[in-house]
Amino acid sequence: MHPTTLMYTSSLLLMFAVLLYPLLVTFTSLPLNNDWASSHAKTAVKSAFLISLAPLSLFLSTGMEAVTSSWTWMVTTTLDITLSFKFDHYSIIFIPIALYVTWSILEFATWYMHSDPLMNRFFKYLLTFLVAMLILVSANNLFQLFIGWEGVGIMSFLLIGWWHGRADANTAALQAVLYNRVGDIGLILGMAWLATNVNSWDIQQMFILSKNLDMTLPLLGLILAATGKSAQFGLHPWLPAAMEGPTPVSALLHSSTMVVAGIFLLIRMSPLMENNQTALTLCLCLGALTTMFTATCALTQNDIKKIVAFSTSSQLGLMMVTIGLNQPQLAFLHICTHAFFKAMLFLCSGSVIHSLNDEQDIRKMGGLHHLAPFTSSCLTVGSLALTGTPFLAGFFSKDAIIEALNTSHVNAWALTLTLIATSFTAIYSLRVIFFVTMGTPRFLPLSPINENNPAVINPLKRLAWGSIFGGLLVMLNINLFKTPVLTMPAELKLAALAVSILGLLTALELATLTSKQFKVTPLRTPHHFSTSLGFVPAIIHRQIPQLSLLLGQKIASQMVDQTWLEKTGPKAIANATAPLASATSNMQQGLIKTYLTLFLMTLVLVTLISAT
Amino acid sequence: MAGVGFQRWVRTLSKGKISGISGLLPACRSGEILTYFPINIGEIAAAAKKYNIRVEDYKPIADNGEGYGDYPQLPDRSQQDRDPAYQWDHPDLRRNWNEPMHWDFDMFIRNRVDTSPTVVPWSTMCKQLFGFVGFMLFMFYLGDKFPAYQPVGPKQFPYNNLHLERGGSPDVEPEEVKNYEI
Repeated sequence: MHPTTLMYTSSLLLMFAVLLYPLLVTFTSLPLNNDWASSHAKTAVKSAFLISLAPLSLFLSTGMEAVTSSWTWMVTTTLDITLSFKFDHYSIIFIPIALYVTWSILEFATWYMHSDPLMNRFFKYLLTFLVAMLILVSANNLFQLFIGWEGVGIMSFLLIGWWHGRADANTAALQAVLYNRVGDIGLILGMAWLATNVNSWDIQQMFILSKNLDMTLPLLGLILAATGKSAQFGLHPWLPAAMEGPTPVSALLHSSTMVVAGIFLLIRMSPLMENNQTALTLCLCLGALTTMFTATCALTQNDIKKIVAFSTSSQLGLMMVTIGLNQPQLAFLHICTHAFFKAMLFLCSGSVIHSLNDEQDIRKMGGLHHLAPFTSSCLTVGSLALTGTPFLAGFFSKDAIIEALNTSHVNAWALTLTLIATSFTAIYSLRVIFFVTMGTPRFLPLSPINENNPAVINPLKRLAWGSIFGGLLVMLNINLFKTPVLTMPAELKLAALAVSILGLLTALELATLTSKQFKVTPLRTPHHFSTSLGFVPAIIHRQIPQLSLLLGQKIASQMVDQTWLEKTGPKAIANATAPLASATSNMQQGLIKTYLTLFLMTLVLVTLISAT
Repeated sequence: MAGVGFQRWVRTLSKGKISGISGLLPACRSGEILTYFPINIGEIAAAAKKYNIRVEDYKPIADNGEGYGDYPQLPDRSQQDRDPAYQWDHPDLRRNWNEPMHWDFDMFIRNRVDTSPTVVPWSTMCKQLFGFVGFMLFMFYLGDKFPAYQPVGPKQFPYNNLHLERGGSPDVEPEEVKNYEI
């Protein structure tokens, strides 16, 4: 084996070993250390991160990618499945970033979940999730990817429903599972089509063998999978509902890693999509609709976690738009930079929530830049990175995406929606900062505001470094696969910045209106539309379950018996033969004389005819 | 212990008025199994007592051959719709002990269908959501018809359209190609 490949595989194996060791320790009946979470779980992730820097530096210096296939799982006449890992540009860059973010989140969680009696189990779930995510990201065949895909889905369910005594958390966990399941239908459809038509689930083989085939159907399946997992419009309600879980869960799963799995799948399969205009247009339009709709919903939310959740959904829509522009690498860059600042925004939210004694309503926060200056600063930096402030992390990916959007041959409405959503991003980001950090406090004086814990400060610091320099570092060290368009009119170049500044000024204007009250209530119709999340949960979560459950109950208890016994069985036979019997018996009126006369007449006629 | 139970069973079988295995079931022995659709006031009162409802509230499900018997028709309200602040016996289910269960109780638990009143009427919600989606689809269709792109022209090459580079003979005079206007 080539030394570089050996290095890649050894690092991944070591990473898995390091991450699985704390999990295996929990399977014995021995009691765990008091600080198992900190000493074992967090240290494991930190070590895994440091190990992952080795393949990263090797890749950055040599540019070499590798694919290794080892143990053969199944060999049939038409399909082979092996344990196969792909160390390419995407996985080698994403794994260290995911581990860095997870390390910070686990350290934060040692503070956040400190009072939870089952904290060790929580960390075990997070570690299991991380292992599943690494399997998904490094998979070279769809089967292995599916294992990781389902793994992250299940861990998401367990972690969202962490506080399972709360009915709303259970409902949210169920929503996550069901919506992801609908997406899985698409993934399985794609896998089945590929298995039957291309006879392979191996990424390299699929790309080569599908050159002349019409890939619309499997691509639609993959897009459905991404819609479910990455909360695109139509299958999006689970993501804001997932905020029922603890904040570290929201930070890890529902902003940085799990929700990008759908986009990651499309990025991996992008060579299949390059030549299929239907799939690209669908991605573009779906992404544009998602980003605009969820940004609209974020404008009027009052729960800080919900605002950040909708922000995540909006950025996922933007990533989908990028894929629709046939720029998978830019989407990947956005995944990487987004992980940093979104995780930081969630951790800041968590710090604020705990400081105010579990208060999540932004209308009951305020003035925190005096009381929790570090958290407020990180919140501001994260929001600025999110809006694409020049030269922070988000700028490098977001601005590149908007430039690509402006200079491509695109659906004009998709372009409009994306720009509007970019301005909305600035609006709700400023809303969060205004309500949380500015002004005077709107909470009770005796709040346990304390950010002086290194378990809070260090993760925020690390993620802040990432949010500021992450974009630059990644951009400086990678090679762009597609030549970007560098010449464009100044209006297009500055479009993203202009639109964000416009949003910022609008939001500032609206924020100053809160103390003047020009209108008693805002315009009710759009306000209700936005606050009630477009009425999607209200309609979908009532109609569809009611229809299917009622129908199921009716079929199971009444219809089967009624059908077989009354409509097609004994009663039906009785009901069918009764009229026949009554008609026949009505005909038999007992008119003997008439019958005899007819009989005699027939006899005479027959005799006469035969005689002649 | 088992012997005592067996003796009771034998005694019940021999003494019971109801024949067969139904005679063993406690509910059957006192005639509490599902009866038919109640017609007169006595049957209605007995059914209401059986289901722990007041006679005024008891309303049987319509008898259309579906086999509901005398089961009451309770209001179609979900558990989420009930008062969260009241001291229920089962606070997570928002239900009291021995309360009559809706036929579709499993559909109305808090994790499933929710019938609580919405801010905006149902028809308005449907109109706004599907109107929004329809509007978006229409606008995407228009956006496809009139896409946004930067103006481009055909590629221009110098040296008389690269006459020599494209294999043209150096002796032959190439046609003049001017890619500019002054």
